[in-house]
Amino acid sequence: MMRFFVGRLLQSIPVIFIVITATFFLVRAAPGGPFDAEKTLSPEVIERLNERYNLDAPMYEQYFDYLGHLVQGDFGPSFRYTNRTVTEIIYAGLPITFELAIYAIMIALVIGILAGMLAAIKPNSAQDYIPMSLAMTGICMPSFLLGPLLVLVFGIWLQWLPVSGWGYSPGDKILPAITLGSTYAAYIARLTRGGMLEILSQDYIRTAKAKGLSTASIIFRHALRGGLSPVVAFLGPAIAGLLAGSFVVETIFQIPGLGRFYVQAAFNRDYTMILGTTILLSCLIVLLNMLSDLLAVWLNPRLALSNEKN
Amino acid sequence: MIDSLKDYQDVSFEQGRSLWQDAWYRLNKNKLAMLGLYLIIFFVVISILTPWIGPYAYETQNLALGASAPSAQHWLGTDIHGRDLMTRLMYGGRISLMVGFAATAVSLVIGVLWGTIAGYVGGLTDTIMMRIVDILYALPFMIFIILLMVVFGRSLLLLFLAIGLIEWLTMARIVRTQVLSVRKQEFVSAAIVTGLSHWQIIRRHVIPNILGPVIVYITLTIPSVMLLEAFLSFLGLGIQPPQSSWGVLISGGVETMEEYPWLLIFPGLALSLTLFALNFLGDGLRDALDPRATRD
Amino acid sequence: MPNKLISLSFLLALFLSGCDLGPSNVESGTNNQILHLGNGTEPKDLDPHSVTGVPEHNIISALFEGLVTVNPKTLAPEPGTAASWVIDNDGKRYTFSIRDNAQWSNGDPVTADDFVWSWKRMLSPAMASEYAYQLFTVKNAKQFNHGEIKDFNQVGVKALNAKTLQVDLENPTPYFLSLLSHYSTYAVHPPTILKFGAIDEAGTLWTRPGNFVGNGPFVLDDWRLNYIIRVSKNLRYWDSSNVQLNEIVFYPIDQVQTEERMFKTGALHATSSIPVDKIAVYQQKDPEKISIDPYLGTYYYRINVNIKPLDDPKVRRALSMAIDREMLVSSITKGGQLPAYTFTPPNTQGYYAATSPITFDIEAARQLLTEAGYPNGEGFPEIELTYNTSDGHRRIAVAIQQMWKEALNINIRLSNQDWKVYLSRIQSMDYSIARAAWIGDYPDPNTFLDMFITDGGNNQTGWSNAEYDRLIALAASQSNQQQRYRTFQQAEALLMAESPIIPVYTYTCVLLKHPQLQGWYPNILDQHPYKYVYLQEPK
Repeated sequence: MMRFFVGRLLQSIPVIFIVITATFFLVRAAPGGPFDAEKTLSPEVIERLNERYNLDAPMYEQYFDYLGHLVQGDFGPSFRYTNRTVTEIIYAGLPITFELAIYAIMIALVIGILAGMLAAIKPNSAQDYIPMSLAMTGICMPSFLLGPLLVLVFGIWLQWLPVSGWGYSPGDKILPAITLGSTYAAYIARLTRGGMLEILSQDYIRTAKAKGLSTASIIFRHALRGGLSPVVAFLGPAIAGLLAGSFVVETIFQIPGLGRFYVQAAFNRDYTMILGTTILLSCLIVLLNMLSDLLAVWLNPRLALSNEKN
Repeated sequence: MIDSLKDYQDVSFEQGRSLWQDAWYRLNKNKLAMLGLYLIIFFVVISILTPWIGPYAYETQNLALGASAPSAQHWLGTDIHGRDLMTRLMYGGRISLMVGFAATAVSLVIGVLWGTIAGYVGGLTDTIMMRIVDILYALPFMIFIILLMVVFGRSLLLLFLAIGLIEWLTMARIVRTQVLSVRKQEFVSAAIVTGLSHWQIIRRHVIPNILGPVIVYITLTIPSVMLLEAFLSFLGLGIQPPQSSWGVLISGGVETMEEYPWLLIFPGLALSLTLFALNFLGDGLRDALDPRATRD
Repeated sequence: MPNKLISLSFLLALFLSGCDLGPSNVESGTNNQILHLGNGTEPKDLDPHSVTGVPEHNIISALFEGLVTVNPKTLAPEPGTAASWVIDNDGKRYTFSIRDNAQWSNGDPVTADDFVWSWKRMLSPAMASEYAYQLFTVKNAKQFNHGEIKDFNQVGVKALNAKTLQVDLENPTPYFLSLLSHYSTYAVHPPTILKFGAIDEAGTLWTRPGNFVGNGPFVLDDWRLNYIIRVSKNLRYWDSSNVQLNEIVFYPIDQVQTEERMFKTGALHATSSIPVDKIAVYQQKDPEKISIDPYLGTYYYRINVNIKPLDDPKVRRALSMAIDREMLVSSITKGGQLPAYTFTPPNTQGYYAATSPITFDIEAARQLLTEAGYPNGEGFPEIELTYNTSDGHRRIAVAIQQMWKEALNINIRLSNQDWKVYLSRIQSMDYSIARAAWIGDYPDPNTFLDMFITDGGNNQTGWSNAEYDRLIALAASQSNQQQRYRTFQQAEALLMAESPIIPVYTYTCVLLKHPQLQGWYPNILDQHPYKYVYLQEPK
């Protein structure tokens, strides 16, 4: 276990380093600079802005300069929000996105696993078709559709819940969390059903049945644990994707989370902001994929941790 | 509950057929799966025949008419430019189905190969391959798309590639986990001892065992690919007006769902019908191809 | 298991019905004189010398006041921080008397030196201010900004004493007072700027709540990115007894659909825009909540005159004349926009363009195309129409694509680009035809017409015409308004005959506002001085 952890942490250093380097040069290769605007700036103004943000230095110098600051924990100033630092923006936005993501994942896990389990216990029955149809509906309902739809029903027609905001009025967190969670719930339901059916057809389950174990005990002690492994493999990147994908939900519901900054930074060519959020995201991905691999082993002990194999 | 007596009887009838004949036979018996198959064939045929059977051209506008509700002239209504929605839906289906299948195929090939190799070979190869996946996950994908577009210009092929490149990552992770779990099972060790080649082991033991989750994941990928296409078209990659696709129609329909609900309902219906069909077909296929074949 | 589901959903329903949404922002805001406004994108900064956008303007006009302010109905200049002014030397010298009771929000008096210092800051090369050109009418200001003059004393602005400011201009500039109500000419508080950085340093912390010092009717209270900006009444403002609002809350909202929903549920008193398809709905159901007013802006297409076949004015005129603008504004934009056949919007401070050679005439357009060598569109290459990603631009482009196809039998390829790619392609002239828009900085035809002088920064069509350049320069030296306008009319007629641009429509300002919002008058710059605004339940 320890070896796995240390190994993965050591591996994450080159991963993150490559991500930083690639992103640094990719964003500068994209057409359009951070200062391009509808009203054309005079060449003098552009020159001075480039000077101010050290964009006139040779590329390699900018790169090492950036790394130098990064080592000291300095992500630099945002190019778009001129009087804020990237660190400050992340500090303000991350907890909000995190909270939103946690609610969404909880909703997704509870509903998804429950529905998938129900379906797998009695395949090809009403108990299978109804939750799976709902799941399919959830999958074809992207959040840019589900969000406005929920708002229309619960915010405008029924007037039960606020249509926007985050922590401003009671209940304004409910609709965004459901919107973000439902697609993932649908995925998890499908994967759980598939995974569990796979396990339920295995020999050892038959053995267990033959031994007279109760259905409930088979489901919970064997099938669910084993059946969740595709879910877990999906979950690591999904959670990371959730943080990036919260952009749509944050925009619809007017939530000041990091997702909006992450996506807008790319549109604005806010180089430092893109890099800052990407570094954060890569750390998350490394961490979550590690946890997801770990969890997969715990659920299915027959999987050994890959680098303990040699 | 899990394996009924009836299934055991079926198994006894199936002796002597090849794996594929066997699968086809079992698929044929699954009514829902066959319904799904017919529905997909229907959609594909419609979208191929569109230029000959549609009463309107997909780009012909009638600005004075504007968005109109379904009527005798326009069965599914018209859009903001007064274009016949049914015709646009049929044309959109061509793009969406093509993108859905082609891009998913790209992601499938890369993802399954990558995941199988990583999971089966293991060790350092596995580590390096999976860390590459991590890196690709983390790169800012929008910048990536913008660059792709600038470097290669706009083309449908690029669209498949871009989507495939994004979608294969999760596929690879799922396949790898599955392969690892199979690799560790007794029968694989036994097979190695009996001197089977790696290729034989992969074909006989590994592939059948990863089929289930892969098919499920494919049915999940196709819809997300169709919707991703709408987003990429929005960014400028992908199709350009006056062409359209289901994803583009849906995202346009969302904005006017209160005023012109038919512009959302019909494309939404087309997409969900396809997905349901795919889903039933996917489940049926998985059951039919399952080497243990004792369920349902 | 199903039982649990039922009880779960029961619990959820119980929870939901227990939610009391309480009074809406509109209700509570109206009672407490707190105005809630939708404000488009998140502002870049709140420093009047470093920003350019409309959202920034809406906030800065609450936080600062210029020498001159505007009449909320007519936009005519009115005394602001300056109580009065004298114009002499043939309209080239302005002497302003600053109010004795004008003070900063920290209690310091506002002085003439503050203005001199602020204009120096605005014009400093290192400040790299995008709007520095707003002051270029001031003597030597341009030279100082371009680094040709190092000594600011040579620039035509000086403090005669603590409360008297004298400004010398290069040319008599009839619209100079209008410029002074623009935020780029506002004064900032020198000690506050210097506390957080150098005079010519942008992006310092002085614009944060707590640090901020201004001289407007409101002061900055709270600023959270992508969330809210809250300003509250400045009791030290010289006219604060006439300010009725206690607070204004600005919401940066990226999506117009979200903004409309917030408006509908009473979270906002007014929006900054409205989804196109909602216009008709409001006009039918709630006509008192939608306001449509003329706006000083033109939506147009740029043509790259350097490439074939667009280098031929006949081709350009043919394209322009084949567009059915009436149909476009009635079926696509739907917001009461005016079809535009000239570039300057009608009645720009009394200016009307002369009759335009451009009309909607398909026959004439075909004739022109034939003369140019493309009878019935034969041999006309496929050209690309570039626009930045947006639903509105797409709808217009799709309609025009079809109009050109039907009228002229030519094929246009549409190409939407992400905003920054679009900008870089325009700037590098890597386009054939591209969508564009221009919103006037001040109410005068010059803000539109001086764009197309040879190598003008915003020209970007490659078009160059010596006679046009001469006319624009001539207008700048004329002090008689009627003569000036005649010169502009000649220039504009020339511009339309050559057609390096295709005007499509004149903007309107379409927004939603609740009837509680009072003292909010329509005008062509969409400016609403907040000191006249108040909230009241309609009778």
